[in-house]
Amino acid sequence: MEAVLRNLAGTAELLAVAGRSGVVEQWDKQTLSRAFHWARYCEHVFTRFHNNPGMRRIMEKQLQLTNQSLQAAFPAYTDVSFSDLSQCQHLLLVGLLNNPELPSSIMKILFDSPANTKQTEHEDVSGLCSHIIQCKSACKVLSPLTDVSAVGADAEVQGAMLMEELATLLSQSSEACRTEHFLDSVLRGCDGAAQHFCLVIAAALLTTTNPAAQTASQDFLLDWLREKHSELRHMCSTSPPALLIDLSKQHLKFRDAYCAVLKKWASEMEYSMSDGEWVQTSTNQTSVTFQKLAERFLALLKACPSLREDVVKELNVLKISDGDFDVRGLSVWGDLLSVINKCP
Amino acid sequence: MQFWLDKAVAWGQADSPDTQKDTCLHLSRLRDFLQQLITHINNMSSTTETMKTLPFLGQFLGRLCWNPYVTAHATSRRLLFQCLWGLYTEHPCNAVERKANQWIRKVLCQLATEDDCGAVQTLMKHVGVPPEEYHLKVLRKRVTLLQQNIGKSCSSLGDMNQRCSCDSLLAASEACVPLVTCPEAAPLIGALLQQPVTCVRAALSENFLDALSSAYSSQLLLLEEQAVVSLWYHSLSSLEEAVLRLLERVLTKTGLTLQQLKQQLTESLLVDEGTFEGLVPTVTSESAGASRDPAVRGHHKVFDAWFLLVQCAHWVQAAVQLLVTSGPEDCGPLLWLLTFYHHPTNRGHHRALQLVHAKEAWDHLRSLFVAFARPPPVDRLQSLVTLLSSQPQRPSPSPLLILSLLVNFAVFFQQPLSGSTEILQTV
Repeated sequence: MEAVLRNLAGTAELLAVAGRSGVVEQWDKQTLSRAFHWARYCEHVFTRFHNNPGMRRIMEKQLQLTNQSLQAAFPAYTDVSFSDLSQCQHLLLVGLLNNPELPSSIMKILFDSPANTKQTEHEDVSGLCSHIIQCKSACKVLSPLTDVSAVGADAEVQGAMLMEELATLLSQSSEACRTEHFLDSVLRGCDGAAQHFCLVIAAALLTTTNPAAQTASQDFLLDWLREKHSELRHMCSTSPPALLIDLSKQHLKFRDAYCAVLKKWASEMEYSMSDGEWVQTSTNQTSVTFQKLAERFLALLKACPSLREDVVKELNVLKISDGDFDVRGLSVWGDLLSVINKCP
Repeated sequence: MQFWLDKAVAWGQADSPDTQKDTCLHLSRLRDFLQQLITHINNMSSTTETMKTLPFLGQFLGRLCWNPYVTAHATSRRLLFQCLWGLYTEHPCNAVERKANQWIRKVLCQLATEDDCGAVQTLMKHVGVPPEEYHLKVLRKRVTLLQQNIGKSCSSLGDMNQRCSCDSLLAASEACVPLVTCPEAAPLIGALLQQPVTCVRAALSENFLDALSSAYSSQLLLLEEQAVVSLWYHSLSSLEEAVLRLLERVLTKTGLTLQQLKQQLTESLLVDEGTFEGLVPTVTSESAGASRDPAVRGHHKVFDAWFLLVQCAHWVQAAVQLLVTSGPEDCGPLLWLLTFYHHPTNRGHHRALQLVHAKEAWDHLRSLFVAFARPPPVDRLQSLVTLLSSQPQRPSPSPLLILSLLVNFAVFFQQPLSGSTEILQTV
């Protein structure tokens, strides 16, 4: 344990030096390799202990101490937190490449290209950046071909990772609030990118790689989502309708939540004499026409036939409470019902 | 320069299908141009001078750096970076050079570390996944998705009016042009190459095949064996490349041990180990005892290799011609090739004996033509006739083989025509 803490402190110092000190001028290929070796080591430590609260606390304390001394040594030093360690190699690379004192010879090693594609040693520092760039570029090249599906490869990968993390959290702790905190912080992190977040959630809910482990995590996610009313509404209005149908088919809880959102939208509509149609009253929501709303209802009922009876019953009750007229324009429920009844 | 600058401007970051297609089409020529640029830059005494001769060079290189179709391919990326480093000055002596240095560092740093989407970065941080791992996972995911799409077979069987999934084959192959050197894309490329051609639309882009061919010759291609053989079916030039490389390697290395020769031949994928067994003159317990487990697969590959050889019969022709002029040290592999062509199967493991006889025949012919004695010795001619007229029973080599050797000797051997004619007439 002592050794691990020492190594963590050492690597934090290494990061500071790499990013801020002229000492890098002396670095050669060996020093570079060693530096990345230590960064990898920290990544391993993170993976091993990040869900172990006791160990994590000890390590965070150590890092706090190291941060303090580094603050004194380097002006404008930014602290390294325990969660930063998961990206230690990346941090090291960012620091080095932004350091004007880094010799061009070292940079050349990082951006070198292999002479042929014989498998380079897994932990070879040479060509590290070249490989990263190749990977990112290849992703971009393939994206027009693959991102025609509703969710897209990025969201799928992120969704899968989210599920993995959820599963780990749920299996390791009995306190549900920890997992809730995690989801809340992820949501906060995606502030300003709500649509992206919705896609990731959808992808997470559609992941089918490990059914046994997934049910609990997906269930938890659904429960959490149902409480986030505005996120749920946003998801229903911005996601492709087909995606929402897929989600409804796979998860009863989602089906019910989606149905509830559709009903909410209907309840917010008013009949406009001039347009001769139902329109949404509140302007701060993504606009949906009556036509589209009815289409969504139909699609949902077609995909989930078991829902039909209940929905029809409910709409009937609401129509009756509106006066039970069969004239168009008097009750949104009645008009919806007539559309639904036309298509068995 | 202007042409390429305009191209780079037009391509931008290759966001639209047209720019993407255009970039792919011009990739190999762009590589040549970049090579020229490197030479030019190296010939200049300083960056200041270079910038005077090519004022838009920085802008040009900068634009290319952000075009993923250029940076995905190993060679174009290497050449591009070489250009950049060519402009870097260790000890800058003026503002231009200092600025150039700063710019080069900045561009490289951004390429390697910046990410478009902040939300993704945050999410990845929360789940504890480093950016490099994330990008690798997304790439693999995309490759898998595409592979699955390609696997879907098509049943339209030549009906031009029916739409089918084979349209996507062409698009996918076109998009893979910059990815031929990317190891993670290998499964996708393999799938494209091995897709059975069941429909008129199931065509691979020519550009794609060319790109594969040139990556293959630069030894930057990393594909599974089956995929490489499929490449040969699609692209004759890469097969020729493979055979040429094999012959070069085998013929230029004098004093190759049998083991090394075997390794060379089997590595080339043109020859299967089981077929090679016949070349081992003394049957060691190892090669005798070892029954090649995937025996059926072995035969398949033999047939494949032989079939391909037949399609490129001019290689065999070349081998025969070479036999006329080569000495006893070099004739081994050539005789082997000839024997294989005439006797691809190795039933009863007679290959070794066949080769011995083939060598005898060759020796015969050689001595016949070398000796300027007129008239040619009767006994020699007699044995030659015997060889030619003998039943094609193993283990003697086929009369056709002997005949083709004879004809080639007659035609290509360095001696007066009359001598050759006499020999031929007598035989």
